Amino acid sequence: MSRLEIYSPEGLRLDGRRWNELRRFECSINTHSHAADGSSYLEQGNNKVITLVKGPQEPSSRSQVDTAKALLRISVNITKFSKTERSKTSHKNERRVLEMQTALVRTFNKNVMLNVYPRTLINIEVHVLQQDGGIMGSLINGITLALIDAGIAMYDYISGVSVGLYDTTPLLDTNSLEENAMSTVTLGVVGKTEKLSLLLVEDKIPLDRLENVLAIGIAGTHRIRDLMDKELRKRAEKRVANALSR
Amino acid sequence: MSTAAVAHRRKRLSEGLTVTQKVFVRSRNGGASKIVREHYLRKDIPCLSRACRICPNIIVPDAKNELPKFILSENPLALANGPHYVVLDTNVVLQAIDLLENPDCFCDVIIPQIVLDEVRNKSYPVYVRLRTLCRDSDDKKRFIVFHNEFSENTFVERLPNETINDRNDRAIRKTCQWFAEHLKEQNINIVLVSNDRLNREAASKGDERFTTRSLYEYVELLPNGEDIKDSIPNFESSADNIKDVDAKVEFSFPEYYSTARIMGGLKNGVLYQGNIQISEYNFLEGSITLPRFSKPVLVVGQKNLNRAFNGDQVVVELLPQSEWKAPSSIALDSEHFDVNDNADADADAEDAGVESSTGLISDKQRRLLTQDAILAQKSNKVQPTARVVAIPRRSWRQYVGQIAPNSVDAKTGGSQNVFVILMDKCLPKVRIRTRRANDLLGKRIVISLDSWPATHKYPLGHFVRDLGEVESAEAETEALLLEHDVEYRPFSKKVLECLPAEGHDWKAPADLNDPEMIAKDSLLQKRRDLRDKLICSIDPPGCVDIDDALHAKRLSNGNWEVGVHIADVTHFVKPNTALDAEGASRGTSVYLVDKRIDMLPMLLGTDLCSLKPYVERFAFSVIWELDDNANIVNVDFMKSVIKSREAFSYEQAQLRIDDPNQKDELTEGMRALLQLSIKLKQKRLDAGALNLASPEVKVHMDSETSDPNEVEIKKLLATNSLVEEFMLLANISVARKIFDAFPQTAMLRRHAAPPSTNFETLNEMLQTRKGLSISIESSKALADSLDRCIDPQDPYFNTLVRIMSTRCMMAAQYFYSGAYSYADFRHYGLAVDIYTHFTSPIRRYCDVVAHRQLAGAIGYEPLDLMHRDKNKMDMICRNINKKHRNAQFAGRASIEYYVGQVMRNNETVEAGYVIKVLNNGIVVLVPRFGVEGLIRLENLTNDVNSSQFDEVNYKLSFTSKAGEKKEVYVFDKVEVQLRSVLDPITSKRKAELLLEK
Repeated sequence: MSRLEIYSPEGLRLDGRRWNELRRFECSINTHSHAADGSSYLEQGNNKVITLVKGPQEPSSRSQVDTAKALLRISVNITKFSKTERSKTSHKNERRVLEMQTALVRTFNKNVMLNVYPRTLINIEVHVLQQDGGIMGSLINGITLALIDAGIAMYDYISGVSVGLYDTTPLLDTNSLEENAMSTVTLGVVGKTEKLSLLLVEDKIPLDRLENVLAIGIAGTHRIRDLMDKELRKRAEKRVANALSR
Repeated sequence: MSTAAVAHRRKRLSEGLTVTQKVFVRSRNGGASKIVREHYLRKDIPCLSRACRICPNIIVPDAKNELPKFILSENPLALANGPHYVVLDTNVVLQAIDLLENPDCFCDVIIPQIVLDEVRNKSYPVYVRLRTLCRDSDDKKRFIVFHNEFSENTFVERLPNETINDRNDRAIRKTCQWFAEHLKEQNINIVLVSNDRLNREAASKGDERFTTRSLYEYVELLPNGEDIKDSIPNFESSADNIKDVDAKVEFSFPEYYSTARIMGGLKNGVLYQGNIQISEYNFLEGSITLPRFSKPVLVVGQKNLNRAFNGDQVVVELLPQSEWKAPSSIALDSEHFDVNDNADADADAEDAGVESSTGLISDKQRRLLTQDAILAQKSNKVQPTARVVAIPRRSWRQYVGQIAPNSVDAKTGGSQNVFVILMDKCLPKVRIRTRRANDLLGKRIVISLDSWPATHKYPLGHFVRDLGEVESAEAETEALLLEHDVEYRPFSKKVLECLPAEGHDWKAPADLNDPEMIAKDSLLQKRRDLRDKLICSIDPPGCVDIDDALHAKRLSNGNWEVGVHIADVTHFVKPNTALDAEGASRGTSVYLVDKRIDMLPMLLGTDLCSLKPYVERFAFSVIWELDDNANIVNVDFMKSVIKSREAFSYEQAQLRIDDPNQKDELTEGMRALLQLSIKLKQKRLDAGALNLASPEVKVHMDSETSDPNEVEIKKLLATNSLVEEFMLLANISVARKIFDAFPQTAMLRRHAAPPSTNFETLNEMLQTRKGLSISIESSKALADSLDRCIDPQDPYFNTLVRIMSTRCMMAAQYFYSGAYSYADFRHYGLAVDIYTHFTSPIRRYCDVVAHRQLAGAIGYEPLDLMHRDKNKMDMICRNINKKHRNAQFAGRASIEYYVGQVMRNNETVEAGYVIKVLNNGIVVLVPRFGVEGLIRLENLTNDVNSSQFDEVNYKLSFTSKAGEKKEVYVFDKVEVQLRSVLDPITSKRKAELLLEK
């Protein structure tokens, strides 16, 4: 392992960003209009994610019926070719992936108005085409976009990002090289508030530094929310224009 | 790593930020994988020149909200065509880092990021030095790093069919070009210094606006160039050295194996890798400890050593069985070997060792050879030998030495090749080229090694600086500190800024509940007020850094309350400050005869932290409740504030305790401490603690001239052991507590049991000569058998055996608790299961860490992440182990030097003991001065051939100069004549011993 300059004394990271800069963020919705009710394609740096939302729909088995609210189901498919080395297994029933799914369901359960759709199932599939660190944040962003595209009622956006702590410096939106070199926190923030719907800490982080880390993380998620909002509004305007011209 | 680039589209993200992709192919273990990384290009990277009018408008603050500082001077040094900045190429940094650190040249230097990256991949230590240079060079040297790879203006894309090196060279040229354009209006030129001819040519071909020079050409341009030329590294291929190539050399070392062959060999188990250790007595014999062999494998002879230096990481191959041999019993050092070699001609000389005649041996045979080798080690004295086939990592650093007078041609005025004999006698001579050979004669000089081509008998180096006259106290002390890698420069400004602003006027707050003080230090309320306790300190006379103080008080239930109070250094040294980093890197204070090199600045060490008498100081206290038999009933740890009533020297304390008229409470307390300490010591000895000896002496200095004038063996008083016992007790109690709180990262100290092989020789000597033996099954058995080693005729014999067994012991080491299992925590010498260092935080960094961890364990303040991280703890432990060892060696070397100075004035006859018998001499230890020395056979007899060496009985028989037959055995007591001589070749003063009668 070569010793890398994760954060140089001149204040630049491995890929040339500064500490508080997001990676390139591009998204589009309604990419798979025939395959699903709502869909999105998202690139956050070299993370590339397709999200498909199907539903609200009739559950296939009775056990999935909840008379009071809709059931949210999320499955994450991490493709074999998503990393630099091709993996031999499909990551289907890996514990890490199952945990991610559970965490995502919990993140969105409170934010989607499930009570509006009783006795139905909302099925979300996420396909990770390429990953480069901070994948959990990208999944959250992709799901938010696809849910909005599907027209499912939500209270607000949820935007996610991961923040690393290098010595005493928080680094926003870590890529895989950075993620391997330090402890990171992933957070999902509701809209423009400071409410956290997800806080995922998988490594040790000193408590006295956490506040800084969260502050920069929340600022980052707000910026992501604005980027998603801009894209959605652009899209909506186009649709309105199309509808009017027809 | 091989790479193949693909040109990639760029995408603009916002004003001043674009992103592109870096794509390359990495091959690892035969497979290839394509790696894609994002690469952001920006416009806000400043040139950091004070002359620039544009860049101050584009800079942005970093995470700590600090703006980058503009460093490069407005009026840099002017050469013939105007003021200039220097841009360095990678090869210059790698070859001439010493020159870059020279304060007299290379100011206003730009290091392109790509150069920094290449340097880091080639040599991490050089990278660290370069980074330090950039960090600390604010106003004097003015070095900056320019991130050319991240700047939109200077980033270059790799062209199809372009090698990665060519691309990087082009990137450097592009950076120069940009700087030249950027600073055109300010009239500052850019000079690219590169030793790569192709790069220079490519630069002059284009119509670039900057100039290019080789290192030699550049130095020549400087106004003070003549003085600096000597420090230019010595590479045989460089143009100025071409003359040497003509001096045809017949001598040549075997070439090293190729990397592929080594990788294969290591995998197959026919080659081995390890660190080579050159024998203290014979510089042409090295040994390597390899995990597969129970004993070290020998490497004998110049050709087999194949240019290895002491401490290098080497790859070796076993020699055929016919060449296996016992470790040589000849003393040989480089200064007396091949004295007449000519520095210019590198004449061919007879090899002292055996020429390797390996011939062709198949891998299969080699593996069988290994089997034989392991067997041979078990059974007899013949050792498998090996030869060095590659040196993956050099241990080269800067060395101190002096020019060999006979290699200097006094008449030549110009530059000439001369030999430098290094202080470390395990190392060969070094050839340097200098024009000042005549000036430098008789001076200690620092040199740096550059290369050792196979065609050269001696390594090539270059002059760095001179320290002063040989034998002058300053030069010798500095040489000693340099040789032992002790940081002795004054503390930097950044470090001193971390000290309390009040300076010497700092006072402990009078009232711990004073709201004003609490506002300043919120932890104040957690401190316990122990100012009413009758505390005193006992230290060596003249001690100014008082680490520890004690008190004892009878409790109402008949038990004793005993307190050990340690200076609260961590109150002032907070983690992650420059002060802490400096302390961690120094690791320990170094005590020389006439000088102390502090770990922490004076203000802390001798005043604010030092538990001086009559003033209030912060302390970290350990308070036990002990019963009358010194069993621990209870223990408590607290941060406190104390007031020491008196500072005693060991002698004063002893007198006060012995004086029956003194009946005050303080003295009573001291008497109680003494009684308890005796019981503690007995318990320790019963458990098997060792009482080892080392010939420690103390040098007295004349108070007026500060010349050394007397040597004294250290005396031990009962009060010495009083303090020691309680310090041990405190260390043990603290070790348990911090291990309990931080089971993975507690800072501890262990002392491994010595492997039985270490004692083999000593045991054999004892067996044959005295019919005694040492048993080493346990520390208890060892302690008992050492007690039995008595020669009724000679009371000193027991001490001698203790000294010799101390040398067979393993060294104690610092470690973090996650590194070993609990059973291996054991401290063999002290016979306790767990131990740490807690009681001297002013002079040891381990104690600082232990203090922080204890503070965390008792909930005083949360422990910094640094001490909860295994990797960081590992780095700390490794460093303090190294520094601790170096400090010990430096201290010993200093005593040795001063003992030599004392003996210079008085020649004496003393009793000495033979501790080693060699083929061509004997090694004698003189307890009175704590010196040991080799008496060469030439000095014992006139007829060298008449001597006989009996290896089995450790006997050397010879005809003495007076003509009588003499026999000398190991352990013999001999009368030796002692005088100090200046070696004419090395100009090193050392004790020369001559056998009397």
